[in-house]
Amino acid sequence: MKKLLTLTLCSTLLAACATPTRYVDPAADDGPVTMTMDYRDFERAADAAIQDLLASGAVDNPSGERYVMVVSRITNDTMQRIDTDQLVKKIRVALLRSGKVVTTTAVGLDGAEDEMNMAARELRESEEFDQSSVQQTGTLQAPDLSLSGKIIQRNHRVEDEQQVEYYFQLSLTDLQQGFAIWENETPIIKRGSDDTVSW
Amino acid sequence: MLRSITIVAVMALLGGLSACAPMQPEREYVQRDDLKVDPEVRQFLAVNELLQARIDQPGGGTLLQVQFSVEAYEDADLEWAVTWFDPSGMVVPSVGQGYHSAHLLRGQTRFFTAIAPHERVTSYQLHLREDR
Repeated sequence: MKKLLTLTLCSTLLAACATPTRYVDPAADDGPVTMTMDYRDFERAADAAIQDLLASGAVDNPSGERYVMVVSRITNDTMQRIDTDQLVKKIRVALLRSGKVVTTTAVGLDGAEDEMNMAARELRESEEFDQSSVQQTGTLQAPDLSLSGKIIQRNHRVEDEQQVEYYFQLSLTDLQQGFAIWENETPIIKRGSDDTVSW
Repeated sequence: MLRSITIVAVMALLGGLSACAPMQPEREYVQRDDLKVDPEVRQFLAVNELLQARIDQPGGGTLLQVQFSVEAYEDADLEWAVTWFDPSGMVVPSVGQGYHSAHLLRGQTRFFTAIAPHERVTSYQLHLREDR
């Protein structure tokens, strides 16, 4: 009985000492920096890329029309399992908001990003659907630009510390001519305890 | 005499009631400054220049660009962010809400630039704060 009481008391005390879960406001996040890539790194890389891209004028169509962009391969060459959409989505959103570029979801290296583009066209043969509301042939727009890139990680030991380098490399290709009309690299370098694991 | 006492009592009652009434906040237009520097930051750096220009785009439009330079009196970490506004004063969202961090060495002058996320941006607010 005494043991049980002691155990219960210890558990209660430990639970009381636990750090409470709380929300983080990205605009005022004063939390510690991690050696791995966190949301702040993706935000910084995307912000740097977008500012450079808009300033370059590469995505401003002289005709006044919006360019159509397709997302090509973004390679994750880091030791971490990350979804490259964490970077790409921010760029896509910012480009769409800028009014200069729209991203097609009808084309992709591994098939259409949104397969509904083709599925909706299969309704042409269905008598159940009002055919005037079904997408007509030749309405999909081919992309003008392609976004590709790579995220690289390099680890170094600096005295008793560890240095982790991340490189966010992006290229925008004009699909008409095959030229990379804009290229950017954003390095994010972190140095911290050698005990920290960055993978 | 009784009348005077009654008047004084009524006035005291009214005064008491008005004191209990909730205070309405004063609503007045606050001029928005382009530059806001936290007091802690002013102790270790000075903003030497704050420039703005509109960059021509191939389509005929322009984008607002801001450049500022800071000179540090001592080694310090700084954070900065620019908030963009359209002609109506509404915030135009950019990629994120986070601050850019920068490390300044004593006596070093550094230049930073930022590009507006949309052509409709006409004004901005630059905020400098201590790295937390």
